[in-house]
Order: sequence, then C-alpha cells, then structure tokens
Amino acid sequence: MSARTASILPVGGLVAVGAALACLLAPAPARADTDNFELNGKIYTKYLYKNDDSAGCLSLSNPFWPDNIGGNNGACTEFELTILGRASKYVTTGVRLKSRFGALWQGWWENGDVRWDYPNDTLFVENTSGESLGMNHAQYVKLRGAFIRVAPPIPTVRWVHIGASDLGMFNEWTVGKVRYIDRDNANGVFVEGDFADRTVQYHAAAIATPKLFIGPRWTSGLSNADPRADYWASDWTYALKLDYRPSSALALRLIGSYVHDWEADDNDPDATGPSDVERGTNRAIEREIRYQGANATLDARLSPESMDWLNLTGLVAYSYNLVNTDYAANSVRDDQGFSPLLYLVDGEGEPEAAQGFAGKVRVEMYDPFEAGVSLKLEYFNIGSEFNAIFGARREGDVLLTDGIIGSGFIKGGQLPTLNLANEFIDFDEAWYETIIGWHGATALLELQRGLLAASLEGTFVTYNTNQQGRDTDNQYPDFLYTDGFTDPQAFTADQDYGNIYDRGSDPRSVYKEFQDRQTLIAVLNAESAIPGAEDLKFAVKGKWVHDTDSRKADNAEDDYVGDLFLGYGMLKWQATNEFATGLGYEWQRWDEERRSGSQEQGFYDYATTKHTGRLVASYTFGGLTFNYLLEYFHKDQERDRPGSPDQQWRVWRAKASVETGW
Amino acid sequence: MQCTPTSALIRGLGAATVALGLAACGGSQVNPDTPGAVSLTDPSGDDNGPGDYIYPTDQVYKPGSFDLRSFEVIPKGDTVEFRVGVGSRIEDPWGSKDWGGNGFSLQMAFIHIDTDGVAGSGVTAALPGVNVRFAEAQAWDKVVIISPQGPTRVNSEVETKAADVKDRVVVPKVTRASGRTLIAVVDVADLGGAPQPGWGYQVLMQSNEGFPAKTDLLTRKVNEFEGQHRFGGGTDYDNDPHVIDMLAGRAAGGDDEKAAQHAALSKYTRDANEPTPADLAEVPMIYPGK
Repeated sequence: MSARTASILPVGGLVAVGAALACLLAPAPARADTDNFELNGKIYTKYLYKNDDSAGCLSLSNPFWPDNIGGNNGACTEFELTILGRASKYVTTGVRLKSRFGALWQGWWENGDVRWDYPNDTLFVENTSGESLGMNHAQYVKLRGAFIRVAPPIPTVRWVHIGASDLGMFNEWTVGKVRYIDRDNANGVFVEGDFADRTVQYHAAAIATPKLFIGPRWTSGLSNADPRADYWASDWTYALKLDYRPSSALALRLIGSYVHDWEADDNDPDATGPSDVERGTNRAIEREIRYQGANATLDARLSPESMDWLNLTGLVAYSYNLVNTDYAANSVRDDQGFSPLLYLVDGEGEPEAAQGFAGKVRVEMYDPFEAGVSLKLEYFNIGSEFNAIFGARREGDVLLTDGIIGSGFIKGGQLPTLNLANEFIDFDEAWYETIIGWHGATALLELQRGLLAASLEGTFVTYNTNQQGRDTDNQYPDFLYTDGFTDPQAFTADQDYGNIYDRGSDPRSVYKEFQDRQTLIAVLNAESAIPGAEDLKFAVKGKWVHDTDSRKADNAEDDYVGDLFLGYGMLKWQATNEFATGLGYEWQRWDEERRSGSQEQGFYDYATTKHTGRLVASYTFGGLTFNYLLEYFHKDQERDRPGSPDQQWRVWRAKASVETGW
Repeated sequence: MQCTPTSALIRGLGAATVALGLAACGGSQVNPDTPGAVSLTDPSGDDNGPGDYIYPTDQVYKPGSFDLRSFEVIPKGDTVEFRVGVGSRIEDPWGSKDWGGNGFSLQMAFIHIDTDGVAGSGVTAALPGVNVRFAEAQAWDKVVIISPQGPTRVNSEVETKAADVKDRVVVPKVTRASGRTLIAVVDVADLGGAPQPGWGYQVLMQSNEGFPAKTDLLTRKVNEFEGQHRFGGGTDYDNDPHVIDMLAGRAAGGDDEKAAQHAALSKYTRDANEPTPADLAEVPMIYPGK
C-alpha cells in the first residue's frame, strides 16, 4: 500500500479496498514483467573445526563483551537475497535481506526466545541489550540494507542516493569503505554530480554516525559503553569529495569529513527537576558536544601521456579530534589504555584537540627499460597525533610496504587509524596494523619476465611517536600490550582477550611511555609457473624485520632488539579446469632481546619459533564453489621472564565453505 | 610508447644514468621482425562504447581504467605474450589475491582471434554478456580471456555459460598486471599454432563482475543509467553492446577510429527487448598483416 493510499483510508477506505480487490481479481498478465526486478540469491555454508572444545563458526568474534557466535567448531549456513528494482528510469532501488549468521547445524530448532541473566544482586533479570535476546542463534532474516537512488532534474546533480551504502566513495584517511561484513550497515543521504563540463565532480554525504564504533569509548552515546553518554540518534557525519581533472594526465581530489557527536545537556532544567517554568523548563533539552572529529585529504595523481610507464601520486592529510570529557569517560585512564582517541589536555588541564598531519609521495616506474623491471619508491610521514577515526578499519592498505604484521599465509595491511578492526574474522584472514607516527621510505623493485614475477622490498621506518615520558596513563592510549612482534595466528588460536597467552603487542599500540624505535624491513617475493609443467605454480617469500627500541634514554638495560625471520613456500596445482590444490609451509623465528617487562622489574628475552603447514583445495563447477583449508600451527615460545613459563601451541584447524549464487 | 628528451631523462634518473635511459627508449617490446608480432594502438578517450557510456560511480572505477590504448602480440618460442594497455594504472581495490585472483580487480579483456581468415569458419557470436557479434567473414577461432579471476573460476564460468565454444577459449597460464598493462602468457599450442601475419584480432574491453548475471561470463552490465557498479548510457536490456572500448579502423590510434568505434557499436536495435543476433552490434576484426 502506498503512502498516498494510506492517507485517504479514513475517508475512502472502502473505495480503496474495493480497488485492491478489483486488482486481485483482474486477469494476470501472460508472463511476469521482470524487467523492473532483479533477484540474486546466495547460500553460503561454512565448516570450521579445531582441536579444542569451543562451539561456533567464527575464529575471533567480538573480543570485548561475550558474543556467542564465536568458536572453532561448527557448521553454519547463511542465506541472502538481493533485490534490485526500477520504479522508473529515474528511480532505482535495492534491498539486501540476509539471515543471521551464527546458528550451528546442531542447533536444530533454537528459536530466539528471551534470554535471562542472573546477576548477583537479584534473582534474575531480562537481558534487554538487544544483542542477546537469544536471537544470536536464530536464523532470522534481517534487512541489511535498503536504498533508493534518484536522478532528479536538478542542475549539476546526477544522483541522489538515500539509504544503505558501503561508503566506498571517500578514502581510508577520511571516511573509509565499510568492512565487508558490515557493507550495507551504513546509511545516509548522498548527492553526486558534476559541473564545468564534468571536469569537476562532487560527492556530498550526510552519514548516520554508527553508534558502535565512532567516538570516545567506541560509541557516539551508548550508555552501556559510556555511562556519561546516552544520546546517539542525532549524530551525523558529513563528508564532501571534489574531483578535478585539469587534464587527462592529472587528477586532483579533495575530501573532507566532519563527525559531530551530540549529548543532551545534563544541566538543562528539564533534565534536572520537575516541570516548572520558574526553573526554566520548557520540554526542550539543550545539547552539548561530546566529540568532534574532522579529517581532510588532498591527493594528486600524475600519469603523463607521453610516459605511460610513469605514475606519480601524492597525498597530504589532516586530522582533528576533540573529546569533551564532561560527556565522555576517559578510556585511556579508565580502560587500561584501550581507546580509539587521545585525551589531550592543555597546561590548565582542559581538554585539547589532537591534531596531526600526514603525507606520502609515491613514484612508480613500470618497466621503463622494457626489460620487465619496475621500480616503486615511497616516502611517508604520518604525524604522531594523526587519526582517521572514521577511516577504513580493515580491508585497505595505504602504504607500499609489506609492513611488519603480514606473513606468508596471513596477509597484512597498514591503515592510519587507532580504530582498526581485527575481529569478526577467521584464522585465515588478513590483519591490519596502524601506521600512526610512521616516518620512512620504501623501495620496491619488481621483476616480471615470462612466467616469473618477483619483488624485492626495502623499508626503513622511524617513528614520530618516539618520546620520553609520554603520558600513557591519561592522554595517550597504549592498548596495554606494547611489546613484541604481534602474532595474528595466536590471536585467532587463543580467543584470548586478556592476552594471558602473551601474543605480542596490540596492532593499535603506537604510544609508549618511553620509546626510541626504528625498524628495518626487507622482503623478497617470487612466484612462477614451472616451465614444462605450467599447471604447477610456486610462490616463495622471505622476510626480515629488524626492530629496535632504546626505550628509556637513561636506562641501557631496557633496550629492545627484535629480529623476525620468515620463510614461506607454496606449491599450487591446477589439476583440472575445475579443481586446484596446494601445499604450503611457513617458518618464522623471532629473537627478541628484552621484549617484555617493566622499568622497575627489568626486561627479559624471548625466543619464538613457528611452523605452519597448510593444505588448500578448491573446486568450482556449475555455479558452485567449494573451498577447503587445513592448517597445522606449531609454535614454541621460550620466555626468560621469571614466573612466565615457556609455552607451546599444537593447533590443528580447518575451514571449508560451500557457496552458490543464482 | 613515445620517447622524448624528458622521458629519457626520467628513465635515466631511474637508473642513475641518462645514457641508459636513452638506450632504453626502444618503443614497445614488439620486435617487428618477429613473424606474427603485432603492435596496435587505440585512441585515448574513447572508453565510452558507442559514445555515451558512463563509468560506474564507485570510486574504484578511475577515469581511463577501461580506455584501451595499446595491444601487443609478442611471440616468445613456445609461448605468446599478449599485452593490453589501458589509460590508468591498474589497481587491485578488491584484493584479488584473497579470492585466488591475478593481482588486479576491475579490468577484463576478451582478445578474439581469427586464425584462418576463412569466411564461415569460426564463431560469430561474442562470449556471453558482451552482446556483440562478428561478421561471417571475420568469425573468430580463438578467444583469450584476460580476467582477474583465477583459472578455476574462469574455466567454470566457461563450462557453464559458453560450453559450446569452450574448446576455443584460452585461459592464460599466467595473467598479471603491471602499471597500465594487462599481461597474459599463453601456450602456442593453445592457439593452434604460432601467431601468423594474417591473423585478425579484436580486443573487447570489459569489467570483471564477480557476481555476474546467470547468462553473463563475468561481465559487468551496461544499463540506461549508471549505478555504483553498473555502466550507464545503454539500455536495461541485453541488446546494447557491453563493450567499453575496442580496436577500430586501422588500429593506429587516429581520431577517426573513435568515430569508427562509435558507429559500429551504435548499430544495435534499441527496442529489441529480447534481441536476436541480428539485433546486436557488429564489431570488426583487425588484420594488421593485411
């Protein structure tokens, strides 16, 4: 029923009902007119197994509050239906319906009944968080995204998009593309168009700020997360992108974004007492700003027509973040240093904005000598207080370097935010590290000749975050775990939020009380088909990371020296057109002098050896895709620290998926 | 590739000597003396199909991404290297390595080859989803698919959607991208022999669609209006050519080739909601050796 029909029902309801009945009784057309409809369906089933006793279909779920979809053993199915429609040639629509993930096949008939909690101070209480009404295990179909797209007859405007979006129109430094699992969760109003004969294109947006991860304590006002805040429904983020192409060789892009987090004024008379005009109540509550964030980038791409082998890109970025601690708890102080934002104060102790600049320049020369050899050079300088709070949280990579966190089996990426999202992932997925404070350069030499593709990288990084006596108790978040190489494989093997298993530094940890750090990275990659047996391909990788941190300047006994050595090889066989398989092995050795400890108790050495083997297989036929991965993860960690015994991991785990779309 | 003093200087700087840079200015990798070697050029700015196609609106579709600029055939013993140049640096915004791909995400090129030049021999219909046809006298015998998808996925799609011509489809044993160039290495045997001077070629530029319609071979649709991941400027039916750029005329890069492309791709029946082959645009085969 249309809105117009609904509006006349009180007066002409009988007429409307009669008309509807007439429509139902009218002869059906000879065939359905599907020109305005497009339906796409998909069924995805995952099998996840590990030699432990946990139940669930996700290696690493939400690490903070208990979320019972996480676990290492189970078979789970999800279904999604995407509907695209066309109301007219000027109006298109789209909807994605998707079943809730997390129900195991063994669950049989879990129905999403009410969940009760049993706290200590009372008999029981209904859990009303909305996250846990038992529905985690019900396979209800949920509206995951709906949009309307209009081409209105307004000068310069090409499209107005209303509703769900993946926010892919901006960039990692401002408003980042939403990670894949959340791809339709963002909503807003987006206007895109052009002028000056299409040499200038614009994209403006008002985006509903997500209440669950933007702002102090990862919220824009959810009281469960921050008792000082309780108002999130009017929080918006605004963004504007301008693209200008003065010539076919040069492209310029300017992007700005602004996040504004409102709270209700705690001191408003309407909030502090009874209705009384003498007190100034008026049924309207004033608002106060809880948080403001602004980001901007200007980037340029130069691709000379006469030198099609040359590509130059540059980007400068700025960020501004200000927290009003009257309405936001200090999570650096209260949450053991876990915070996506800084809580800076001036000399008077008043909140002060964290501001930072960042920039990078990249030169790419693709095969300039026609010999299959390419060279890429990049300089990067990320300010110590730069932070893209609404930037890309994962599934992006803004630097040329392989970085520190990436290995052979586990890919890595570098992003300029403290708001990384290395959760809701399986053990085979990529990990991301923050590059706030990174200052250095990368040279990458590539060779592509015949069947062979190889690359050699050298990167040097020093850190703008190097400082003595930094206040990590109240102002700068250190994410508690500041020392040692990060082990993504152990993260997903342990499901260990408390880090009791000592898996290394948090990928977001860039601030330390005492730091004087620099890093060298060298990476060699090669892959090729084997001559004479082209169905066989191999890939190898070697990596060395030399990481040093002198920590406290006047303490010669706390200097960290870490060396990471990595060797990786994978042999893949395309057995038939439909079936491919592969076998791989990765070795890592970490020698870390004075990795963990404290200034008071001293620092102690660690030695880590890791062996990982993998078998992979894929089969694709007739629209069905099957993937299988079997991994053995073998890790030994020797710890000299008193009270910290050596540890070992002997983990078998497997993941399979069957997927078909139609 | 042009060689100017400036480009020579910059090349030389890349290797620390201008002399090396000058020495390196040899043009394309194609040795014209090699039998069967081909080097063709397509004008810039004609990545608009019949003349009014518009890129999808998502930011990953950068200007020039589907602008065919050059096409080279480089025989190398038992293998042949095909190189397709476009107008923008080829990127991998969707992380193709994570789905078994080849290091790029967006572009896809169908290289149709007429190896015998015999009228009535070969296939006149292009692969599913492209919505064009070839003339009877220029029917293709082999088609090389340069796709970011891995061979398992491409082969599966061919088996499902183009089974009648699967023996003519060549999935390269190596597919990769470098700078603005797509590179495919193919066995001579898969082409039925080494490239010959009389062979004809047509390169149809498309975009890789990981979730294609059930009748489309990994191709991205062209609709009346562009969408986030749909080209615009065509129709909402499968009568319009889903070709963003192609070779035309003498394939020497002249502006007249833009007009030739636009003219060829415009000749389809716009009101044919259920088109027959005759309703589709006819694209030419280019015979560089003739």
